[in-house]
Amino acid sequence: MRVPLVLFLTLYLLRTVFAEANSALSGVHVWLFAGGLFVAYSALMVPFQQGFAASVLGGLLCDSVAPVPFGTHAALFGAAHAAVYNLRERLQRDETAVRVAVVLVLNAALFLAITAATIRHVPAAATVWPRLLSDLGWSQAAVALAAPWFFAIQVRSLELARAVPSRSA
Amino acid sequence: MRIGRSQRFDQARPFLTLGLAFAVWLVAPVFVRTLARASFFEMTAPIAAAASYLSDLQQFWALRLHSKPELIEAGRDLARVDASYALSVQQNSALEAEVTRLQGLLGMPPTAHFRFEHARVAERDFSGWWQRMVIRKGADYAIPVGAPVVYSGGIVGRVSEVHAYTSVVQLISDPGLRIAAVVEGDTRPLSYQGAENQVFGPARGVIEFVPLDVYANASEPKVLSTSGLGGVYPPGLTIGRIVHVESSEDGLFKTGEVELDPRLADLTEVTVLVPSNPG
Repeated sequence: MRVPLVLFLTLYLLRTVFAEANSALSGVHVWLFAGGLFVAYSALMVPFQQGFAASVLGGLLCDSVAPVPFGTHAALFGAAHAAVYNLRERLQRDETAVRVAVVLVLNAALFLAITAATIRHVPAAATVWPRLLSDLGWSQAAVALAAPWFFAIQVRSLELARAVPSRSA
Repeated sequence: MRIGRSQRFDQARPFLTLGLAFAVWLVAPVFVRTLARASFFEMTAPIAAAASYLSDLQQFWALRLHSKPELIEAGRDLARVDASYALSVQQNSALEAEVTRLQGLLGMPPTAHFRFEHARVAERDFSGWWQRMVIRKGADYAIPVGAPVVYSGGIVGRVSEVHAYTSVVQLISDPGLRIAAVVEGDTRPLSYQGAENQVFGPARGVIEFVPLDVYANASEPKVLSTSGLGGVYPPGLTIGRIVHVESSEDGLFKTGEVELDPRLADLTEVTVLVPSNPG
């Protein structure tokens, strides 16, 4: 129980940082999405049940502040978590570069999945793609920069809470 | 053979858990989901509000750096504006009394009255998917869902969610928002919807059911304002400028583009129009 709780608190911090950044960047028409960071560490390094709980709780946190059906982010984060968890033994998951690469792939996939879920409300869907691609580009850059810092925060938080998970499922 | 099955089960276990979680979520009662959403939102609200108060404090200390002559000058300018507004208020009172008298004579229903609730913006969330902001007033100030939100440049949007001490405002640039509107100097209603949030430049909306004799372009734009139909938004509030119109596919009406005020992206304070009983 302690591991999902500690991971959830780090996800809460992440949401706060990105929400403040998005608020500050609204004037320059940039919006950052960090969905990949909500899932990556839990899926790569934590036993399934604990990591899955943390990812879903992080998804529910994102759902509560977004005008989408409640559970959309949670379902997508849960599915992404299950997919990455199944692949993790084939990856060099102790390497920061590999973790960052996983985050970037996850982030782009989740961004496109949420776009697919929300774009039907837009009257002229073709016109929104430049903005969406711009947001995706900036998000990938921000996530690549923030990922090493955020992984360190998660590791350190788990150590401080004496909740370092075992590496096996 | 037994090991192979075991490995396959291990590989499928994450997806079985995922399927189970989906199933539990699908059968969960609505009140559980509503409660969960409200609880998670209220978890995020203190941070947004605290950051907003800190920003206000920062601005306060920055303003304290102004010299006394600058403040005296600003106070003098403000007194002049205040005097002209005081005169407008007097004229407005006389006009309101006249309108009430005429409504009584003609037996018309009274026009909507609003209480003005000024609120600071705590958080802005302007993505390509949605456009909304969180303001620092909610159920504690009796803000209702659906109330119109305005600023000095016209309409901002409508209150879409009300929480304990914050509310969420859906902006007019949000693709999910539709408003009945009229072109300046015309009374025929048309439909406005938020649409495109550009990479560079202000957000845009689209209009439909535009009468065929309405013309506008970027060099000669026309002002689009609320029609008052539907009873949510009072009439005459500016939405934006029509910068392009063209015939629709059926040829019965025109469609067009509306450029919204760029100040919408940087708002720090808005006013919620809370409906109240006349008189």
